[in-house]
Amino acid sequence: MNYAQGVSFRRMPLCAKYNLSKMKRFLLFLGVAFAATLSVSEASAQIKVGEGQVSVALESNNTFYTEDPTLESIGLDQPFKRTFGDRGSNDYLKVDYNLNSFSAGVQVDGYLPPLYGYDLYDYIKSKNLQTDKKNFAFLSFYTQFEGKNWGVRVGDIYDQFGNGLIFRSYEDRALAFNNAVLGARAYYNIGNYATLKAIAGKPRIYNERSENWVYGTDLSLSISDMLGWSNGILSVEGSYFARKDTDISEWNEDDYNDNWEVIGTTNRLSGNETVNLVSGRLNFEYSGFTFRSEYATKLNEDLHTPGKPLAGGNVLFLDFGYNYKRFSASASFRRMENMTTLIDPRRSGIGGGNNINYVPLLTRQHTYSLANLNPYLGASVHTGGEVGGQIDLYYSLRNPKARGKYWNFHVNFSMFNTLDHAMGGSKDATAPKIDGRNVWKDFNFDVERQWNKKVKTTFLYSYQRWDEEVNHYDASEPHYNTSHIFVGDVTYKFNKKHSIRTELQYLASEDYEGDWVAGSIEYNFAPKYSFYVSDMWNCEPMGDAQNVINFGGNYYEDMETGVGKNYLLHYYQIGASYTHNSLRVQLSYGRNRAGYVCSGGVCRMQPAYTGFNLAMTLSF
Amino acid sequence: MKKLMFLMVALFVGVSASAQTLPDVKVENQEAKVISTRDLVDGTPMIISFWSTTCKPCIMELNAINDNLYDWLEEVDFKVVAVSVDDARTLSRARAMTQGQGWDDYVCVYDKNQDFKRAMNVSLTPHTFIVDGKGNIVHSHSGYTPGSEQELFEKIKELK
Repeated sequence: MNYAQGVSFRRMPLCAKYNLSKMKRFLLFLGVAFAATLSVSEASAQIKVGEGQVSVALESNNTFYTEDPTLESIGLDQPFKRTFGDRGSNDYLKVDYNLNSFSAGVQVDGYLPPLYGYDLYDYIKSKNLQTDKKNFAFLSFYTQFEGKNWGVRVGDIYDQFGNGLIFRSYEDRALAFNNAVLGARAYYNIGNYATLKAIAGKPRIYNERSENWVYGTDLSLSISDMLGWSNGILSVEGSYFARKDTDISEWNEDDYNDNWEVIGTTNRLSGNETVNLVSGRLNFEYSGFTFRSEYATKLNEDLHTPGKPLAGGNVLFLDFGYNYKRFSASASFRRMENMTTLIDPRRSGIGGGNNINYVPLLTRQHTYSLANLNPYLGASVHTGGEVGGQIDLYYSLRNPKARGKYWNFHVNFSMFNTLDHAMGGSKDATAPKIDGRNVWKDFNFDVERQWNKKVKTTFLYSYQRWDEEVNHYDASEPHYNTSHIFVGDVTYKFNKKHSIRTELQYLASEDYEGDWVAGSIEYNFAPKYSFYVSDMWNCEPMGDAQNVINFGGNYYEDMETGVGKNYLLHYYQIGASYTHNSLRVQLSYGRNRAGYVCSGGVCRMQPAYTGFNLAMTLSF
Repeated sequence: MKKLMFLMVALFVGVSASAQTLPDVKVENQEAKVISTRDLVDGTPMIISFWSTTCKPCIMELNAINDNLYDWLEEVDFKVVAVSVDDARTLSRARAMTQGQGWDDYVCVYDKNQDFKRAMNVSLTPHTFIVDGKGNIVHSHSGYTPGSEQELFEKIKELK
């Protein structure tokens, strides 16, 4: 086993004392960094080392889980699953050094212990069942040089080819996700019309490096620059990307035993496969019109039977845009089939941290809580593919003489269907088929009105219809839930510093959990302080002992007494934040609903909990 | 880890007060052409604001700056660079939104794999920077509360 350097913490001897002192030092180091950062941030100064300069960023997210007898009595909160204890802290310290064209940096991720409800938590937990270790860290680093027409980077690499359909390495801390590739990357610009890029390395899976190699190359060619067109853009681009699985056929019994959690007990694949992906893109822009397209295909892997070279997957992505003055329109279409590509298929079922490509959901991601209560989660995981698209229209109505008064209108529509697929994912041509059907449809309208310098209002209406059966591979009949969501949002500025913002939301539905109502009040004292209280209440009894098992509802049986009733729960929050330059500290307390936390088109399931959150970010 | 700590401590030694310069990173402009962030430095001070289509306070902040823009420009010359950190999922919506929100006086750039965001050490959006005409970062502010745009205006006036 050839583990790369970044996994040093995991490969250290498992001696409790050793780890404790290490962790103490780490915490001390964080403290020193924090203190140093505070003093420097205060002066708004920077650190200089020789001719170069150093920049530092620190982020710390902490949760203290408290007892909530109501949530616990009906099994919504299950404290016994929090095996790392009633406290969690995901922390990131990043230090960069920059000297002209040269830069280098390190990032330490500390999970002290990890926050509950992230895929990373379950992954670390599954790998540490036999130990009482609670704190984990991960070190990543890079060094790079940017020449005039070329650049080289060695270490952890974040990059993507085109839209990321065959390759994207990135970090998303809201999901505790990071699949940076540890390796090397180089690019070269030919004139102003072509860029050639190559990358190779081993991607990160949560707090480890994978054993599998990935490599690829990307060429983008600007036809318009080549021919000297100045009033339009035409470019063609192409990429190749591959994953080479480590050959584990030579492993002996001990190797298997050491890696049982990776391979599983029943999935001993020969695993020396190379999976190949290619992509082609065409982009065009002329006089307010834009057209972007990408077609990508996976040549030889089937997600549902990893290791068996079968017809792979494909995805077609089309994007149209038009704008004229303050009107703009955008429409996207996508059809995809079996395109999810894992970093290591032998570790399937461990969440999104195992993906090397990016095929995100295309529906609108709402910022209001009730509109985001039951987001679209994608059909491809359960049925292998989906087809659909979305349309956005924006218009801003403004009087050029009164800049502080305007209307902004926005309309959005999206729809996604599953593809025809065989029962049970069977590859047998004679297997019974399930027809593709609509699994998501939504229509959203919002209007924002700035009345004068003091008053601003926003109104949103959202219609959403989702098929709950999309999660079940072989469901031949849909079960639709429909919601109508209304939101009103008013900001009133008393003066240049004091303002108040109130939000009122209502979700009307005859299905699932029935009606919800939510409200919040936020008082701001700019630029430093903000305070808020909010509540979200499931106000309508839904479901009973008979149908609750299949289709949601708020009917629960007490786990001790067995007595069932409708629990119309309040999900309340109270919080405050303080900001000074680049320092931001936020403290909140409240009850959080079990649901999906989405970031950048990827969602994670967060179980319900009640507790305190303390978040801090700082950079200089 | 010990070595790393030594390195870090070594880096903290020699702290001196001088402004950080804008890093050199590739982003896309409104026409989807790749440009260098150093090209943004042209002698005019700027407000650089990181935003995304799913970040409500970011949009509020950019709208608030836009409301005041002409009043402020009467007193001091500067430009506003709106950096969208939307990825392939919402990139086309971000492009449409800059037009549909009336941000036509802004320089809009797109940082689809967050290289600029990472180089500027932005953890949360909105995050706003003030950069002088030579490319020195002179102020940064994380988060938005209605009215905090006034602080940006005060800071940019200090550059005069």
